[in-house]
Amino acid sequence: MKIDGVAVAGAGMVRFGHYPDRTVADLAREAGLAALHDAGMTLADVDEAFVGYIQPAAMIGIKAMKELGLTGLPVTHIENASATGLVAFREAAWAVASGRAEVAMAIGFDKMSDMGRGSTSSRGTGRDQLDSTILPAAYFALWAQRRMHDYGTTPETFAAIAAKNWNHGALCPWSDRQPDHEVTVAEVLASRMVSTPLTAMMACPADDGAACVIVASTEWVRAHQPDRRIVRPVASTLRSESYSLGHTFLGPVVGPATMSRDTAFLAYEEAGFGPDDVHLALCHDAFANEELEYYELLGFCPEGEGDRLVAEGATKLGGRIPFNTDGGLLARGHPAGPTGLAMVHEVVQQLRHEAGDRQVEGARTALAHLVGGGSICTVSLFESE
Amino acid sequence: MPRVAIEAGFFTIPDDPAEPPRLLGSRCQACGEVFYPRRFVCAKCLHEGSDDIELGPRGTLYTWTYVHVPLFAKKDGSVDAYGVGQIDLPEGPRVQSILVGGPEDFAIGMELELELESLGPDKAGDDVVIYRFRPVGEGR
Repeated sequence: MKIDGVAVAGAGMVRFGHYPDRTVADLAREAGLAALHDAGMTLADVDEAFVGYIQPAAMIGIKAMKELGLTGLPVTHIENASATGLVAFREAAWAVASGRAEVAMAIGFDKMSDMGRGSTSSRGTGRDQLDSTILPAAYFALWAQRRMHDYGTTPETFAAIAAKNWNHGALCPWSDRQPDHEVTVAEVLASRMVSTPLTAMMACPADDGAACVIVASTEWVRAHQPDRRIVRPVASTLRSESYSLGHTFLGPVVGPATMSRDTAFLAYEEAGFGPDDVHLALCHDAFANEELEYYELLGFCPEGEGDRLVAEGATKLGGRIPFNTDGGLLARGHPAGPTGLAMVHEVVQQLRHEAGDRQVEGARTALAHLVGGGSICTVSLFESE
Repeated sequence: MPRVAIEAGFFTIPDDPAEPPRLLGSRCQACGEVFYPRRFVCAKCLHEGSDDIELGPRGTLYTWTYVHVPLFAKKDGSVDAYGVGQIDLPEGPRVQSILVGGPEDFAIGMELELELESLGPDKAGDDVVIYRFRPVGEGR
Protein backbone atom coordinates (compact mmCIF):
# COMPACT_ATOMS: atom_id res chain seq x y z
CA MET A 1 0.00 0.00 0.00
CA LYS A 2 1.35 3.40 -0.99
CA ILE A 3 2.11 5.82 1.84
CA ASP A 4 0.02 8.90 1.22
CA GLY A 5 0.11 12.33 2.79
CA VAL A 6 3.27 11.89 4.90
CA ALA A 7 6.36 14.15 4.80
CA VAL A 8 9.59 14.44 6.75
CA ALA A 9 9.34 17.32 9.24
CA GLY A 10 12.84 17.06 10.68
CA ALA A 11 15.97 14.93 10.95
CA GLY A 12 18.99 14.99 13.20
CA MET A 13 21.81 12.73 14.26
CA VAL A 14 24.96 12.37 16.30
CA ARG A 15 28.02 11.63 14.18
CA PHE A 16 28.64 7.90 14.53
CA GLY A 17 31.83 6.86 16.30
CA HIS A 18 32.97 5.84 19.75
CA TYR A 19 31.60 7.65 22.80
CA PRO A 20 32.99 5.83 25.85
CA ASP A 21 32.00 8.68 28.18
CA ARG A 22 28.41 9.17 26.99
CA THR A 23 25.29 7.13 27.72
CA VAL A 24 22.81 6.08 25.05
CA ALA A 25 20.23 8.39 26.66
CA ASP A 26 22.67 11.25 26.23
CA LEU A 27 23.23 10.39 22.56
CA ALA A 28 19.47 9.99 22.05
CA ARG A 29 18.81 13.42 23.55
CA GLU A 30 21.27 15.09 21.18
CA ALA A 31 19.81 13.39 18.10
CA GLY A 32 16.22 13.93 19.24
CA LEU A 33 16.74 17.62 19.95
CA ALA A 34 18.52 18.06 16.61
CA ALA A 35 15.50 16.59 14.82
CA LEU A 36 13.00 18.62 16.87
CA HIS A 37 14.98 21.81 16.14
CA ASP A 38 15.17 20.91 12.45
CA ALA A 39 11.39 20.41 12.47
CA GLY A 40 10.82 23.63 14.43
CA MET A 41 8.87 21.92 17.20
CA THR A 42 9.11 20.51 20.70
CA LEU A 43 8.09 17.11 22.00
CA ALA A 44 4.68 18.62 22.78
CA ASP A 45 3.96 18.51 19.03
CA VAL A 46 4.82 14.81 18.71
CA ASP A 47 1.85 12.42 18.94
CA GLU A 48 3.72 9.11 18.98
CA ALA A 49 7.29 7.82 19.15
CA PHE A 50 8.99 4.62 17.97
CA VAL A 51 12.30 3.87 19.64
CA GLY A 52 14.81 1.57 17.93
CA TYR A 53 17.72 -0.15 19.63
CA ILE A 54 19.13 -3.68 19.83
CA GLN A 55 21.04 -3.58 23.10
CA PRO A 56 19.48 -5.77 25.77
CA ALA A 57 18.72 -3.03 28.30
CA ALA A 58 15.24 -3.18 29.81
CA MET A 59 13.08 -0.05 29.43
CA ILE A 60 15.95 1.98 27.99
CA GLY A 61 13.79 3.21 25.11
CA ILE A 62 11.12 4.74 27.29
CA LYS A 63 13.75 6.14 29.64
CA ALA A 64 15.72 7.70 26.79
CA MET A 65 12.56 9.38 25.47
CA LYS A 66 12.17 11.07 28.85
CA GLU A 67 15.36 12.99 28.05
CA LEU A 68 13.26 14.92 25.51
CA GLY A 69 10.39 15.59 27.93
CA LEU A 70 7.48 13.88 29.64
CA THR A 71 4.35 14.57 27.64
CA GLY A 72 2.51 11.27 27.97
CA LEU A 73 2.99 10.34 24.31
CA PRO A 74 2.82 6.66 23.31
CA VAL A 75 6.29 5.08 23.02
CA THR A 76 6.96 1.71 21.38
CA HIS A 77 10.19 -0.23 21.13
CA ILE A 78 11.10 -1.59 17.69
CA GLU A 79 13.86 -4.17 17.28
CA ASN A 80 14.78 -5.75 13.96
CA ALA A 81 18.56 -6.21 14.24
CA SER A 82 20.52 -4.08 11.74
CA ALA A 83 17.29 -2.91 10.11
CA THR A 84 15.87 -1.53 13.38
CA GLY A 85 16.05 2.19 12.55
CA LEU A 86 14.47 1.93 9.13
CA VAL A 87 11.68 -0.24 10.55
CA ALA A 88 11.05 2.33 13.32
CA PHE A 89 10.82 4.93 10.55
CA ARG A 90 8.31 2.72 8.73
CA GLU A 91 6.10 2.53 11.79
CA ALA A 92 6.27 6.30 12.31
CA ALA A 93 5.36 6.93 8.67
CA TRP A 94 2.41 4.56 8.91
CA ALA A 95 1.25 6.07 12.20
CA VAL A 96 0.84 9.34 10.30
CA ALA A 97 -0.47 7.76 7.09
CA SER A 98 -3.17 5.95 9.05
CA GLY A 99 -4.35 9.22 10.55
CA ARG A 100 -3.64 8.00 14.06
CA ALA A 101 -0.90 10.63 14.52
CA GLU A 102 -0.36 14.06 12.97
CA VAL A 103 3.31 14.00 13.95
CA ALA A 104 5.39 10.88 14.75
CA MET A 105 9.01 10.39 15.74
CA ALA A 106 11.40 7.53 14.99
CA ILE A 107 14.51 7.63 17.13
CA GLY A 108 17.33 5.08 17.26
CA PHE A 109 20.44 4.70 19.37
CA ASP A 110 22.96 2.04 20.32
CA LYS A 111 26.48 1.62 21.59
CA MET A 112 28.12 -1.29 19.84
CA SER A 113 31.21 -0.55 21.92
CA ASP A 114 29.24 -1.79 24.95
CA MET A 115 27.78 -4.90 23.32
CA GLY A 116 29.17 -8.17 24.58
CA ARG A 117 31.59 -6.45 26.93
CA GLY A 118 32.63 -8.76 29.75
CA SER A 119 30.28 -11.47 28.55
CA THR A 120 31.75 -14.88 28.02
CA SER A 121 28.53 -16.84 28.17
CA SER A 122 25.86 -17.55 25.58
CA ARG A 123 23.85 -14.58 24.35
CA GLY A 124 20.59 -16.17 25.43
CA THR A 125 19.03 -19.28 23.99
CA GLY A 126 21.12 -22.40 24.08
CA ARG A 127 21.36 -22.54 20.33
CA ASP A 128 23.63 -19.50 20.36
CA GLN A 129 26.39 -21.70 21.60
CA LEU A 130 26.44 -23.69 18.40
CA ASP A 131 25.66 -20.52 16.44
CA SER A 132 28.43 -18.44 17.86
CA THR A 133 31.17 -20.31 16.02
CA ILE A 134 30.24 -18.44 12.82
CA LEU A 135 30.59 -14.67 12.75
CA PRO A 136 28.63 -12.20 10.60
CA ALA A 137 31.86 -11.47 8.71
CA ALA A 138 32.15 -15.16 7.88
CA TYR A 139 28.54 -15.29 6.73
CA PHE A 140 28.98 -12.47 4.22
CA ALA A 141 32.35 -13.85 3.18
CA LEU A 142 30.52 -17.06 2.25
CA TRP A 143 28.38 -14.94 -0.13
CA ALA A 144 31.50 -13.31 -1.54
CA GLN A 145 33.26 -16.62 -2.22
CA ARG A 146 30.23 -18.07 -3.96
CA ARG A 147 29.87 -14.87 -6.02
CA MET A 148 33.48 -15.17 -7.16
CA HIS A 149 32.83 -18.80 -8.11
CA ASP A 150 29.61 -18.09 -10.01
CA TYR A 151 30.46 -14.83 -11.80
CA GLY A 152 34.25 -14.53 -11.74
CA THR A 153 34.04 -11.47 -9.51
CA THR A 154 37.44 -10.47 -8.11
CA PRO A 155 38.40 -9.05 -4.68
CA GLU A 156 39.38 -5.88 -6.57
CA THR A 157 35.68 -5.24 -7.26
CA PHE A 158 34.79 -5.56 -3.57
CA ALA A 159 37.74 -3.28 -2.76
CA ALA A 160 36.58 -0.69 -5.32
CA ILE A 161 33.16 -0.54 -3.63
CA ALA A 162 34.79 -0.16 -0.21
CA ALA A 163 37.14 2.57 -1.44
CA LYS A 164 34.20 4.43 -2.98
CA ASN A 165 32.26 4.40 0.30
CA TRP A 166 35.30 5.45 2.37
CA ASN A 167 35.77 8.35 -0.05
CA HIS A 168 32.08 9.26 0.13
CA GLY A 169 32.47 9.29 3.92
CA ALA A 170 35.19 11.93 3.60
CA LEU A 171 32.51 14.29 2.23
CA CYS A 172 29.97 13.68 4.99
CA PRO A 173 30.17 15.55 8.32
CA TRP A 174 28.21 12.76 10.04
CA SER A 175 30.47 9.95 8.81
CA ASP A 176 32.55 8.07 11.36
CA ARG A 177 35.29 7.38 8.83
CA GLN A 178 36.49 10.56 7.13
CA PRO A 179 39.78 9.59 5.46
CA ASP A 180 42.24 12.46 4.94
CA HIS A 181 43.33 11.07 1.58
CA GLU A 182 41.82 9.33 -1.43
CA VAL A 183 41.40 5.68 -0.38
CA THR A 184 42.61 3.32 -3.11
CA VAL A 185 41.73 -0.23 -4.14
CA ALA A 186 45.28 -1.30 -3.28
CA GLU A 187 44.96 0.14 0.23
CA VAL A 188 41.71 -1.74 0.86
CA LEU A 189 43.20 -5.01 -0.42
CA ALA A 190 46.33 -4.55 1.70
CA SER A 191 44.40 -4.13 4.95
CA ARG A 192 44.19 -7.05 7.40
CA MET A 193 42.35 -10.15 6.14
CA VAL A 194 39.22 -10.77 8.25
CA SER A 195 37.50 -13.60 6.41
CA THR A 196 38.57 -14.66 2.91
CA PRO A 197 38.18 -12.60 0.68
CA LEU A 198 36.99 -9.75 2.95
CA THR A 199 39.60 -7.41 4.44
CA ALA A 200 39.18 -5.06 7.40
CA MET A 201 38.58 -2.05 5.15
CA MET A 202 35.72 -3.93 3.43
CA ALA A 203 33.94 -4.19 6.80
CA CYS A 204 31.86 -1.59 8.64
CA PRO A 205 32.90 -0.26 12.04
CA ALA A 206 30.98 -1.23 15.20
CA ASP A 207 29.82 2.23 16.23
CA ASP A 208 28.02 4.20 18.89
CA GLY A 209 25.47 6.76 17.79
CA ALA A 210 21.94 8.09 17.62
CA ALA A 211 19.65 9.44 14.91
CA CYS A 212 16.12 10.75 14.77
CA VAL A 213 13.57 11.48 12.04
CA ILE A 214 10.22 13.19 12.59
CA VAL A 215 7.41 12.72 10.09
CA ALA A 216 4.14 14.62 9.88
CA SER A 217 1.17 15.01 7.62
CA THR A 218 2.12 16.74 4.38
CA GLU A 219 -0.34 19.52 5.32
CA TRP A 220 1.49 20.09 8.61
CA VAL A 221 4.88 20.28 6.91
CA ARG A 222 3.55 22.54 4.13
CA ALA A 223 2.02 24.90 6.71
CA HIS A 224 5.04 25.05 9.00
CA GLN A 225 7.92 24.80 6.51
CA PRO A 226 6.68 26.75 3.47
CA ASP A 227 10.17 27.53 2.17
CA ARG A 228 11.52 24.03 2.31
CA ARG A 229 11.59 21.35 -0.38
CA ILE A 230 9.21 18.68 0.93
CA VAL A 231 10.57 15.13 1.23
CA ARG A 232 7.95 12.39 1.34
CA PRO A 233 8.21 8.66 2.04
CA VAL A 234 5.98 7.03 -0.60
CA ALA A 235 6.51 3.34 0.14
CA SER A 236 8.03 1.30 2.94
CA THR A 237 8.02 -2.47 2.79
CA LEU A 238 9.16 -5.12 5.23
CA ARG A 239 9.53 -8.82 4.56
CA SER A 240 10.95 -11.80 6.40
CA GLU A 241 12.34 -14.88 4.71
CA SER A 242 10.37 -17.17 2.47
CA TYR A 243 11.48 -20.77 2.34
CA SER A 244 13.48 -22.23 -0.50
CA LEU A 245 15.72 -25.27 -0.75
CA GLY A 246 19.18 -24.51 0.59
CA HIS A 247 17.87 -22.30 3.38
CA THR A 248 20.22 -22.32 6.36
CA PHE A 249 18.41 -22.31 9.68
CA LEU A 250 21.35 -22.51 12.07
CA GLY A 251 24.09 -19.91 12.36
CA PRO A 252 24.00 -16.23 11.42
CA VAL A 253 21.61 -15.81 8.52
CA VAL A 254 20.83 -12.78 6.43
CA GLY A 255 19.14 -14.35 3.54
CA PRO A 256 18.13 -15.73 1.23
CA ALA A 257 19.48 -12.90 -0.89
CA THR A 258 16.27 -12.90 -2.92
CA MET A 259 14.52 -11.41 0.13
CA SER A 260 15.99 -8.04 -0.89
CA ARG A 261 14.60 -8.38 -4.41
CA ASP A 262 11.12 -9.27 -3.18
CA THR A 263 11.08 -6.42 -0.67
CA ALA A 264 12.34 -3.83 -3.17
CA PHE A 265 9.99 -4.80 -5.96
CA LEU A 266 7.04 -4.69 -3.59
CA ALA A 267 8.12 -1.14 -2.69
CA TYR A 268 8.46 -0.15 -6.37
CA GLU A 269 4.97 -1.49 -7.02
CA GLU A 270 3.51 0.47 -4.13
CA ALA A 271 5.35 3.68 -5.03
CA GLY A 272 4.46 3.50 -8.71
CA PHE A 273 8.03 3.96 -9.88
CA GLY A 274 10.97 1.63 -10.40
CA PRO A 275 14.75 1.49 -10.16
CA ASP A 276 15.19 3.50 -13.38
CA ASP A 277 13.51 6.44 -11.63
CA VAL A 278 15.65 6.31 -8.47
CA HIS A 279 18.32 9.03 -8.26
CA LEU A 280 20.34 7.71 -5.30
CA ALA A 281 20.31 4.62 -3.10
CA LEU A 282 21.54 3.62 0.33
CA CYS A 283 21.93 -0.06 1.13
CA HIS A 284 23.19 -2.47 3.79
CA ASP A 285 26.92 -2.39 2.99
CA ALA A 286 28.12 -3.84 6.29
CA PHE A 287 30.52 -5.71 4.01
CA ALA A 288 31.51 -4.38 0.59
CA ASN A 289 30.43 -7.48 -1.33
CA GLU A 290 26.84 -7.01 -0.16
CA GLU A 291 26.54 -3.75 -2.08
CA LEU A 292 27.50 -5.55 -5.31
CA GLU A 293 24.69 -8.07 -4.75
CA TYR A 294 22.17 -5.33 -3.99
CA TYR A 295 22.89 -3.48 -7.28
CA GLU A 296 21.31 -6.52 -8.90
CA LEU A 297 18.72 -7.53 -6.31
CA LEU A 298 17.36 -3.96 -6.06
CA GLY A 299 17.02 -3.92 -9.86
CA PHE A 300 19.69 -1.37 -10.82
CA CYS A 301 21.24 -3.81 -13.28
CA PRO A 302 20.59 -7.36 -14.50
CA GLU A 303 21.86 -10.33 -12.50
CA GLY A 304 25.61 -10.82 -12.85
CA GLU A 305 26.24 -7.31 -14.21
CA GLY A 306 26.98 -5.53 -10.93
CA ASP A 307 30.71 -5.83 -11.56
CA ARG A 308 30.30 -3.72 -14.70
CA LEU A 309 28.55 -0.96 -12.72
CA VAL A 310 31.59 -0.83 -10.44
CA ALA A 311 34.04 -0.81 -13.36
CA GLU A 312 32.10 2.07 -14.95
CA GLY A 313 31.99 4.04 -11.69
CA ALA A 314 28.20 4.21 -12.04
CA THR A 315 27.61 4.00 -8.30
CA LYS A 316 30.06 6.76 -7.30
CA LEU A 317 28.94 10.32 -6.67
CA GLY A 318 28.59 11.78 -10.16
CA GLY A 319 27.74 8.36 -11.63
CA ARG A 320 24.44 7.10 -13.05
CA ILE A 321 23.10 5.79 -9.71
CA PRO A 322 25.19 6.87 -6.70
CA PHE A 323 25.10 4.35 -3.84
CA ASN A 324 25.75 5.16 -0.18
CA THR A 325 26.43 8.84 -0.75
CA ASP A 326 27.18 9.43 2.95
CA GLY A 327 29.73 6.61 3.11
CA GLY A 328 27.21 3.90 3.92
CA LEU A 329 27.57 1.46 6.81
CA LEU A 330 31.21 1.06 5.74
CA ALA A 331 32.22 4.66 6.45
CA ARG A 332 29.34 6.62 7.98
CA GLY A 333 29.07 3.71 10.41
CA HIS A 334 26.71 1.09 11.76
CA PRO A 335 25.57 1.27 15.39
CA ALA A 336 22.48 -0.88 14.51
CA GLY A 337 19.54 0.95 16.12
CA PRO A 338 20.13 4.36 14.51
CA THR A 339 21.62 3.13 11.21
CA GLY A 340 18.39 3.24 9.19
CA LEU A 341 17.54 6.67 10.56
CA ALA A 342 20.97 7.95 9.52
CA MET A 343 20.04 6.71 6.04
CA VAL A 344 16.82 8.71 6.09
CA HIS A 345 18.82 11.68 7.43
CA GLU A 346 21.04 11.44 4.32
CA VAL A 347 18.03 11.04 2.02
CA VAL A 348 16.57 14.21 3.54
CA GLN A 349 19.81 16.19 3.00
CA GLN A 350 19.98 14.98 -0.60
CA LEU A 351 16.34 15.55 -1.52
CA ARG A 352 16.32 18.98 0.13
CA HIS A 353 19.42 19.69 -2.00
CA GLU A 354 21.38 20.52 1.15
CA ALA A 355 24.05 17.78 0.89
CA GLY A 356 26.96 20.11 0.08
CA ASP A 357 29.93 18.51 -1.67
CA ARG A 358 28.18 15.16 -1.96
CA GLN A 359 24.94 16.51 -3.45
CA VAL A 360 23.47 14.33 -6.19
CA GLU A 361 22.52 16.95 -8.73
CA GLY A 362 18.79 17.39 -9.12
CA ALA A 363 17.98 14.43 -6.86
CA ARG A 364 14.24 13.99 -6.47
CA THR A 365 13.91 10.30 -5.52
CA ALA A 366 15.84 7.97 -3.22
CA LEU A 367 15.85 4.39 -1.95
CA ALA A 368 16.94 3.12 1.46
CA HIS A 369 17.48 -0.62 2.05
CA LEU A 370 18.50 -2.60 5.09
CA VAL A 371 18.61 -6.24 6.00
CA GLY A 372 18.56 -7.45 9.58
CA GLY A 373 19.87 -10.73 10.96
CA GLY A 374 17.40 -13.50 11.58
CA SER A 375 16.42 -12.36 8.97
CA ILE A 376 14.30 -9.57 7.50
CA CYS A 377 14.57 -6.86 4.85
CA THR A 378 13.07 -3.39 4.64
CA VAL A 379 13.03 -0.88 1.77
CA SER A 380 11.77 2.70 1.81
CA LEU A 381 11.26 4.93 -1.22
CA PHE A 382 11.21 8.71 -1.09
CA GLU A 383 10.40 11.56 -3.42
CA SER A 384 10.62 15.31 -3.11
CA GLU A 385 8.36 18.02 -4.42
CA MET B 1 36.50 -39.42 29.19
CA PRO B 2 32.76 -39.40 28.26
CA ARG B 3 31.90 -37.13 25.33
CA VAL B 4 29.04 -34.61 25.58
CA ALA B 5 27.62 -32.32 22.88
CA ILE B 6 28.21 -28.56 23.11
CA GLU B 7 24.43 -28.53 22.87
CA ALA B 8 21.97 -31.40 23.00
CA GLY B 9 19.64 -32.14 20.08
CA PHE B 10 21.80 -31.32 17.08
CA PHE B 11 24.09 -34.28 16.45
CA THR B 12 24.88 -37.83 17.56
CA ILE B 13 27.94 -38.95 19.48
CA PRO B 14 28.66 -42.55 18.40
CA ASP B 15 30.04 -44.91 21.03
CA ASP B 16 32.82 -45.87 18.64
CA PRO B 17 35.16 -42.83 18.34
CA ALA B 18 36.15 -43.97 14.83
CA GLU B 19 32.58 -43.64 13.58
CA PRO B 20 31.46 -40.24 12.22
CA PRO B 21 28.55 -38.45 13.89
CA ARG B 22 25.19 -37.77 12.20
CA LEU B 23 23.17 -34.56 12.28
CA LEU B 24 19.71 -34.71 13.85
CA GLY B 25 17.21 -33.63 11.21
CA SER B 26 13.53 -34.11 10.51
CA ARG B 27 11.35 -34.97 7.52
CA CYS B 28 7.92 -33.46 6.96
CA GLN B 29 5.23 -36.14 7.24
CA ALA B 30 3.23 -34.50 4.43
CA CYS B 31 5.58 -33.19 1.73
CA GLY B 32 8.80 -35.00 2.68
CA GLU B 33 10.98 -31.86 2.85
CA VAL B 34 14.01 -32.47 5.06
CA PHE B 35 15.30 -29.94 7.61
CA TYR B 36 18.26 -29.35 9.87
CA PRO B 37 17.91 -28.70 12.73
CA ARG B 38 14.72 -30.54 13.69
CA ARG B 39 11.43 -28.66 13.45
CA PHE B 40 7.78 -29.46 14.05
CA VAL B 41 6.02 -27.23 11.50
CA CYS B 42 7.14 -27.75 7.90
CA ALA B 43 8.76 -24.55 6.54
CA LYS B 44 7.63 -25.47 3.04
CA CYS B 45 4.03 -26.74 3.33
CA LEU B 46 3.22 -25.72 6.94
CA HIS B 47 2.14 -29.27 7.86
CA GLU B 48 2.27 -29.89 11.60
CA GLY B 49 4.29 -33.00 12.31
CA SER B 50 7.65 -34.40 11.29
CA ASP B 51 9.66 -37.59 11.68
CA ASP B 52 13.11 -37.55 13.25
CA ILE B 53 15.90 -38.67 10.93
CA GLU B 54 19.68 -38.67 10.97
CA LEU B 55 21.61 -36.81 8.25
CA GLY B 56 25.08 -37.14 6.79
CA PRO B 57 27.83 -37.88 7.35
CA ARG B 58 28.81 -36.63 3.86
CA GLY B 59 27.98 -33.48 1.94
CA THR B 60 29.16 -31.14 -0.83
CA LEU B 61 30.84 -27.78 -0.19
CA TYR B 62 28.59 -24.97 -1.51
CA THR B 63 30.80 -22.10 -0.33
CA TRP B 64 33.56 -21.52 2.23
CA THR B 65 35.69 -18.87 3.88
CA TYR B 66 38.68 -18.81 6.21
CA VAL B 67 38.16 -16.63 9.27
CA HIS B 68 41.18 -14.85 10.74
CA VAL B 69 39.56 -14.30 14.14
CA PRO B 70 39.75 -16.60 17.18
CA LEU B 71 37.04 -19.24 17.41
CA PHE B 72 33.80 -18.37 19.22
CA ALA B 73 34.44 -14.67 18.63
CA LYS B 74 37.65 -14.63 20.67
CA LYS B 75 36.31 -16.89 23.42
CA ASP B 76 38.65 -19.69 22.39
CA GLY B 77 42.05 -18.09 21.99
CA SER B 78 43.68 -21.44 21.25
CA VAL B 79 42.22 -21.36 17.72
CA ASP B 80 43.25 -18.12 16.00
CA ALA B 81 41.85 -18.87 12.55
CA TYR B 82 39.52 -21.46 11.09
CA GLY B 83 37.49 -22.48 8.05
CA VAL B 84 33.73 -22.04 7.78
CA GLY B 85 31.51 -23.48 5.08
CA GLN B 86 28.03 -24.15 3.86
CA ILE B 87 27.58 -27.83 3.07
CA ASP B 88 24.75 -29.26 0.98
CA LEU B 89 23.60 -32.59 2.36
CA PRO B 90 22.24 -35.15 -0.13
CA GLU B 91 18.92 -35.13 1.78
CA GLY B 92 18.46 -31.39 0.99
CA PRO B 93 19.46 -29.18 3.89
CA ARG B 94 22.35 -26.70 3.64
CA VAL B 95 24.36 -26.62 6.85
CA GLN B 96 26.77 -23.96 8.09
CA SER B 97 29.71 -25.51 9.88
CA ILE B 98 33.29 -25.14 10.93
CA LEU B 99 35.69 -26.80 8.48
CA VAL B 100 38.88 -28.66 9.26
CA GLY B 101 41.90 -27.52 7.29
CA GLY B 102 43.68 -24.45 5.98
CA PRO B 103 42.50 -22.02 3.29
CA GLU B 104 44.33 -23.96 0.60
CA ASP B 105 42.42 -27.15 1.43
CA PHE B 106 38.94 -26.03 0.33
CA ALA B 107 37.23 -25.88 -3.06
CA ILE B 108 33.57 -25.35 -3.91
CA GLY B 109 31.98 -28.65 -4.98
CA MET B 110 34.35 -30.90 -2.99
CA GLU B 111 33.05 -33.72 -0.79
CA LEU B 112 33.34 -33.40 2.98
CA GLU B 113 32.65 -35.69 5.89
CA LEU B 114 31.45 -34.97 9.42
CA GLU B 115 33.65 -35.54 12.42
CA LEU B 116 33.65 -34.54 16.07
CA GLU B 117 36.18 -32.14 17.51
CA SER B 118 37.01 -31.80 21.19
CA LEU B 119 36.61 -28.34 22.73
CA GLY B 120 38.09 -29.47 26.06
CA PRO B 121 36.60 -30.62 29.34
CA ASP B 122 33.58 -29.04 31.03
CA LYS B 123 33.22 -28.56 34.81
CA ALA B 124 32.08 -32.16 35.24
CA GLY B 125 35.19 -33.40 33.47
CA ASP B 126 33.31 -34.55 30.35
CA ASP B 127 34.82 -33.93 26.92
CA VAL B 128 32.71 -31.26 25.16
CA VAL B 129 32.50 -31.90 21.41
CA ILE B 130 31.23 -29.99 18.36
CA TYR B 131 30.84 -31.23 14.78
CA ARG B 132 32.98 -30.09 11.89
CA PHE B 133 33.32 -31.06 8.26
CA ARG B 134 36.64 -32.32 6.87
CA PRO B 135 37.53 -32.70 3.19
CA VAL B 136 37.19 -36.39 2.28
CA GLY B 137 40.53 -38.08 1.80
CA GLU B 138 42.35 -35.86 4.30
CA GLY B 139 44.24 -37.75 7.00
CA ARG B 140 42.44 -37.83 10.30
